[in-house]
Amino acid sequence: MAKAIRKKAGRGQNVLSGGRKRVLVVLFVPSVERDGTTSIDQQRWVDASLEMFGRVFGGATAYPKAKGVWRDDERGGALVIDEPVVVHCYTTPADIQDDGNLAALGAFCRRMGRETRQGEIGLVVGDEYFAIREFGEE
Amino acid sequence: MKTQLDMDKIARGLGAERRGRVAAQGGYFGAMQLLADIQARFRVPAGGGRATDPSWTERRLLPLAPKTLKKLEEVSARVREHGTNVEPMQLAALLIEKTAERLSEQEAEDLVRPKRRATR
Repeated sequence: MAKAIRKKAGRGQNVLSGGRKRVLVVLFVPSVERDGTTSIDQQRWVDASLEMFGRVFGGATAYPKAKGVWRDDERGGALVIDEPVVVHCYTTPADIQDDGNLAALGAFCRRMGRETRQGEIGLVVGDEYFAIREFGEE
Repeated sequence: MKTQLDMDKIARGLGAERRGRVAAQGGYFGAMQLLADIQARFRVPAGGGRATDPSWTERRLLPLAPKTLKKLEEVSARVREHGTNVEPMQLAALLIEKTAERLSEQEAEDLVRPKRRATR
């Protein structure tokens, strides 16, 4: 079942112009650590991401987890099973380009990457894929 | 009218690197389709190395001068200090790919043509 949080729009939203939410932001919440086998507390991070998107951008939806498999040729062809959760958030061009909102979103991704021992946190904004790979503390 | 986003500003603000365009669509099926696309194109191998590019399917032996290999090892070691896990030959493959994309025929000819020694 999709889980959604709807809250009052965050700062930077212009009610009269540019207020229509037409930019899709997608965050991928992993299910395992970078070793491909150690599980993480995924539900905690799904809830935390919904809370962050609700607070910063006004709302988000987490979809049921997808199940994927891929062959890791660097580890003798071992099959790695991952069950990421995809979180969708619609926002405005003004809000996604707001410095404070970007800092909050980036800080959340770095914290998730650091605490769940990821190699990379993936994020889509509009039609572009962004990768966050440095998880240094703020 | 489609709004132009300043993707460089977004990347800077997030502390992220731009990796490529995707076709993101809303709804459950859009989410699943996007996930499959991203996992196929940008997947990070276990161990946290650089994302494996599925288009890198060919393998060749590459003769190198020891000093070139040493340089690649030094640079990749410095990159790893910043949190990006890259091996010397992955770096070499990236350099070849980027250079090949930009290389003109004339530049290639200049590179392979034997250099003439200056004579009096």
